Amino acid sequence: MTVEWSWISDHTGDLTALSLSHLQAALTAVLLGLVISLPLAVVAHRVRPLRGLLLGLSNVLFTIPSIAVFVLLLPVSGLTRTTTVIGLTIYTLVVLLRNTVEGLDSVPARTKEAAKAMGTRPLRTLLTVELPLALPVIMAGVRIATVMAISLVSVATYIGDGGLGQLFTDGFQRNFPTPVIVGVVLTLLLALVADALLVTLQYVLTPWTRRQKQGA
Amino acid sequence: MNRRNLLGGLLAAATVPALASCSSGITSLDGQGAGAGGGGSSEGGVTIGTANFTENQVLGYLYAAALEAAGVKTTVRPNLGTREILIPALKGGDIDLLPEYQGALLHYLDADATATEEGAMQNALAMALPRGLQILPYGEAEDSDAFVVTRKTADAYGLKSLADLAGHNGKLVIGAAPEVKKRAVGAVGLKDVYGVEFKEFKSLDSSGPLVKGALKKGDVDVANLFTTDTDIVAEGWVVLTDPKNLIPGQHVVPLIADRKADSTVRKALAGLGNALTTKDLTELNRLVDKDRKDPEDVAYDWAAEHGIKKK
Amino acid sequence: MYELFKGLGAWLVSGEQWAGPDGIGHRLAEHLQYSLLATLVAAAIALPVGLLIGHTGRGAFLAINLSSFGRALPTVGLVVLVFLVSGLSMWPVYIALVALAVPSVVTNTYAGMTAVDPEVRDAARGQGMRWHQVLFQVELPLALPLIMTGLRLALIQVVATATIAAYVSFGGLGRYVFDGLAQRDLVQVLGGAVLVAVVAVVLDLALSALQRVLFRNRPTEQVQEQAR
Repeated sequence: MTVEWSWISDHTGDLTALSLSHLQAALTAVLLGLVISLPLAVVAHRVRPLRGLLLGLSNVLFTIPSIAVFVLLLPVSGLTRTTTVIGLTIYTLVVLLRNTVEGLDSVPARTKEAAKAMGTRPLRTLLTVELPLALPVIMAGVRIATVMAISLVSVATYIGDGGLGQLFTDGFQRNFPTPVIVGVVLTLLLALVADALLVTLQYVLTPWTRRQKQGA
Repeated sequence: MNRRNLLGGLLAAATVPALASCSSGITSLDGQGAGAGGGGSSEGGVTIGTANFTENQVLGYLYAAALEAAGVKTTVRPNLGTREILIPALKGGDIDLLPEYQGALLHYLDADATATEEGAMQNALAMALPRGLQILPYGEAEDSDAFVVTRKTADAYGLKSLADLAGHNGKLVIGAAPEVKKRAVGAVGLKDVYGVEFKEFKSLDSSGPLVKGALKKGDVDVANLFTTDTDIVAEGWVVLTDPKNLIPGQHVVPLIADRKADSTVRKALAGLGNALTTKDLTELNRLVDKDRKDPEDVAYDWAAEHGIKKK
Repeated sequence: MYELFKGLGAWLVSGEQWAGPDGIGHRLAEHLQYSLLATLVAAAIALPVGLLIGHTGRGAFLAINLSSFGRALPTVGLVVLVFLVSGLSMWPVYIALVALAVPSVVTNTYAGMTAVDPEVRDAARGQGMRWHQVLFQVELPLALPLIMTGLRLALIQVVATATIAAYVSFGGLGRYVFDGLAQRDLVQVLGGAVLVAVVAVVLDLALSALQRVLFRNRPTEQVQEQAR
């Protein structure tokens, strides 16, 4: 199996476009997943009976093959980017919900009580005390969800989307390894870069964790 | 994941349909309004969808080249899937134009269709098409379905025509794309017209690496390929003849949504249809599959050579 | 959507759908075969690696980052790549599934090993236990819960992903998903998806039951006591 380097240099424009489209699908799904999972996680954290239901449902969703999800969405959103994004969002939701609930759980009861004793309102406690303290665990979820979404985008190639995944079906149909290898490498690269950026973001967002470490 | 969560999840999963039931049939919002008739306009551009095999992508880009030469803006969406997926997308507005094949399209729309002659099929198609879609004049190029066996299998079973297959019912394995299992020009028609029953139907792909690989390896005895596939000749495979005309003529024909079918589009695609021969199409397929050229490049190069380019 | 689920009911209970080479029975058996074999092979590779890294502390960076790498690896690409090398064979399916499962098992096994209290480990060594005794009698039992978590996670992922076998001409429940896509038969797609989910959930419950049986025989506290 040899790589045809000339094919790569002839297709840099296409490869850039596919990478960007790939990234756009994955990142939109993670953002949507965050927006949906945050309120759900707060509910799951506070209302015990709903917790098992929500987490259990998300676990079952995780066992459904992603390609089936994309196909089953066809009557809803057709052969569009929307279908890809909805499908991916479902999977990011699973990871984000679990981690956000765990993050909120990890906030010490003492801290919350202290905030209450100081007369802080519940919503304010959530926004200024609980969520910031849960941030490291939530960010761990965001990292997992992002990497997973970037990897999963390619499955949407079966419904004519899929960013870099199109290189897989193309290489397959033509018995042509070069696009497939390039697709795999670029997907890994995108995941790596996105993960590194998220680590940096977390570093910037949670200065107190750094101070603790320095102090220790 | 603990047990209680899983059981809770199963319960919750049962309530999902109720949530999801409100959302059926929302497709793209654009282009829904145009009714039947000639009131279409290609002014906003035409989105060309193509199926999941090389030739259809080449045709899609050829259509794009012809339309662009006539000043119409185009977008090509390659590799979207099968006809079963594409036609609902065409109706729904995700795509506007589709390179189709007369006979296969007719049998998809009307399983009992009997027309086999090009003109008759054209009429039958016009009748069978759902509201909002129309076909344009068919082109010169033709790509038919072929049922193919290796020379060795042909000799071993004495196979020359599709009728000969019935002498070996329950013994042979057929390989084809999954959709062919339920198509009239496929397993269904072979049974109804020739009384052929296979030991097994293996779901593979459309004249692609799976079906050809399986035929070479002996995993399948009969393979459904396209007549424009250069491997049939290259590998010395035997195309079974079709004495009862199960396989209809398969001239390439543009299928388009009414909303986009204006005179500019008609004229451009008719010109292309007249210029493109079966031999050309076969060669373009070969360039993509064997020489690894881009479908887009070979299509635009062919168009330019034939005087179809932006002025 | 209601029609879809009504169709699913009919599809699941029809006797015709269960029989023959394309029947649910056969496809289910194929799916189980792919999933279980791949997970077993993955465990055979990943458990020793994870235990070794955990025991020696060498290669921790690899163990921590492997699961992230595994998540990033696009399965479709891997399957196609192996297909282009091996041609029509089961290799693309098994290699992709094993590659998917190995990272979760290595990472969780390593995590389980690092979670073992260093004092317990030191105590065992102090009692004159050899390295293999420390590993198998002290560390492994203590790490078992997390190891099992890794195995269960891997199995669920593998069961859901074994669907891909159908893309390269093989069977399993993915056949219904890919055929249903080509034929735009959404009932078939849903049927395949639901069966995959049921298989994953049932196997997960089975492993969790196994886990409980394992712990009944060797309660964690007892091991810790022995070590002290």
